[in-house]
Amino acid sequence: MNHFTFVLKSAIEDFSRNKGRTFLTSLGIVIGVLSVVILIAFGLGLRKYINDQFQSLGSNLIRVVPGQILRSGGFSSTGSMTTIRFDFRDILKLERVKSAEFVIPIVTRSITVSMGKGTEPATLYASTADIFLALNLKAQHGGIFTKNDVDKRSKIAVIGPKIAVKLFGNEDAAIGKNIKIDSQTFKIEGVLEAKGGGGFGGPDLDSFIYMPHTTAQVFNPDKKFYAIIVKSKSDINIETAKQEVKTAMLKRYKEDDFSVIDQAELLGAIESIFGVMNTVLVAIAAVSLVVGGIGIMNIMYVTVTERIKEIGIRRALGARTSDILLQFLVESVALSVLGGLMGLGFAYLIVFFIQNFFPAYIDLNSVVLALGVSSVIGIVFGVFPAKKAANLSPIDAIRSE
Amino acid sequence: MIKLQNVNKSYQLDDEVIFIALNNINLEIEQGEFTSIIGPSGSGKSTLMHIIGLLDQPTSGLIFINNKDVSKLNDNELSSLRNTFVGFVFQQFNLINKLTVLENILIPTIYTRSKLEFDPIEKARYLLKRFGLETKEKSFPNKISGGQQQRVAIARALIMTPQLILADEPTGNLDTKSGSEILKLLHELHEQEKMTVVIVTHDPNIAATTNRKIEIKDGKIQ
Ligand SMILES: Nc1ncnc2c1ncn2[C@@H]1O[C@H](COP(=O)(O)OP(=O)(O)O)[C@@H](O)[C@H]1O
Ligand SMILES: [Mg+2]
Repeated sequence: MNHFTFVLKSAIEDFSRNKGRTFLTSLGIVIGVLSVVILIAFGLGLRKYINDQFQSLGSNLIRVVPGQILRSGGFSSTGSMTTIRFDFRDILKLERVKSAEFVIPIVTRSITVSMGKGTEPATLYASTADIFLALNLKAQHGGIFTKNDVDKRSKIAVIGPKIAVKLFGNEDAAIGKNIKIDSQTFKIEGVLEAKGGGGFGGPDLDSFIYMPHTTAQVFNPDKKFYAIIVKSKSDINIETAKQEVKTAMLKRYKEDDFSVIDQAELLGAIESIFGVMNTVLVAIAAVSLVVGGIGIMNIMYVTVTERIKEIGIRRALGARTSDILLQFLVESVALSVLGGLMGLGFAYLIVFFIQNFFPAYIDLNSVVLALGVSSVIGIVFGVFPAKKAANLSPIDAIRSE
Repeated sequence: MIKLQNVNKSYQLDDEVIFIALNNINLEIEQGEFTSIIGPSGSGKSTLMHIIGLLDQPTSGLIFINNKDVSKLNDNELSSLRNTFVGFVFQQFNLINKLTVLENILIPTIYTRSKLEFDPIEKARYLLKRFGLETKEKSFPNKISGGQQQRVAIARALIMTPQLILADEPTGNLDTKSGSEILKLLHELHEQEKMTVVIVTHDPNIAATTNRKIEIKDGKIQ
């Protein structure tokens, strides 16, 4: 048995004899590690959630929207309330962009849908038939509207599964029924597959009502579009496509009047917000880790004082100052890492329960971070008490009572 | 084997008062001797023993171990000598209560920097058996009798096969029967293993059993 394993073994035996004190001492570390790991788990979960949302929206999509919505990595707080609205001339212009596979206009509005006596708030989302392809939407019951419906301004709608259930009790029952929006009647052509989402302020895609944009002109008499989606050809670099779209738009609008954004950019903006949030929360957790470290330093000073005689005995038997230093350092690191492990354990339990309603998860990095941080705290805050123990004079230590 | 030359030890009690604990000690201990240091309480016996055992340093004077001046040694070198050259036995046993009997005996072996020429656990068990403690290996010190504790302490002092055993009133905390058993044991080590033993005592009867007697009073050898 070498010195290190011997010291580690006796430290652990010591903790198991003083369970209450050990737990209280490492409580600060437990809480600190617990909160760091939980925060990271939430961050990861949120990122995964948002990623999944964007994945479900389809790829290679470029959005052209009025105003400046992104500014240097974050969402702009001003400028999104611009006056410009797109019209059909913009669609025609963008359709001539080489890298565009197709271009679709978007009209959206908050509406109230009624059916018999019941009414429900919903979002109207009007476009061309390509919208289903672009956003990866598939009908679960019935069908979707076609190019023909767009040309003929058919008074039909394709609705999300949530709103279907709300209005008709189940998804199947909605097919062929009529709904009323602002006294206009529309026949339900199909009900879409669930996309998930909603909550956290995000769009609840499953409550959208889709219809041909031509049909929706009854709600949109000036025939302006809220946004334009361009799907770029899959073999074309998205940046190139964006540049081409931008050049086309600049022929008519000033640079500040519109934004051309893709998923990655939007995702980047959201992530930078989480980044700031995470930094703040991790800083708060770091404070509790430091408080935990001070707790460990305190108890280690007490331990050293209580064990002066033991230190004297070990010195009489040949322990060097470095042996005593190592012994107390190992104890404080073991205490701190034990706290880290407990914190990690509690975090696993909490995340396990959270997973019932949110995709939070603990990754390997968090485990490494938790153990790394608690070891460092054990060393940093253990070194002063350990130095005190090591520098005691052997004779004074062994003569002490 | 050990030579003390003009050794003084004094304590500065306050700004003006200096207490002289050892006053110009000159003494030589030869290999294979069984020496007793006898004197009344407070006469400086323990102080002297600690200095011989390199646990304490003299205020002035020289110490030679096997003709080598040790006053220039640094803390690591002194620790090594305490580890391998001396074995201490104390009046209060000085076992570590949270470690088992076996672990206590093994302590010196974990602090040694050279490769051990024996298997520590095997040797510790041999010593335990020899001292009639083979069933106490896993006991904790406060669960065995004083006589047994002192035998554990002697086993611990012997594990590194030191050249010198320093015993500071080893029977002071024991009843007469256990005390004489411990004394017998020390004599056995001296006779059978040619061990050099120094025993500190205030009991003339114990001193009478040794082949050399050093009397000390008020820090001076008489
Ligand atoms: N650190 C110290 N400071 C002051 N006086 C001390 C110190 N250590 C020992 N002494 C004194 O030195 C004297 C000798 O002590 P000690 O060697 O323990 O005596 P003995 O072992 O013969 O009873 C005592 O009077 C004791 O009070
Ligand atoms: Mg004494």
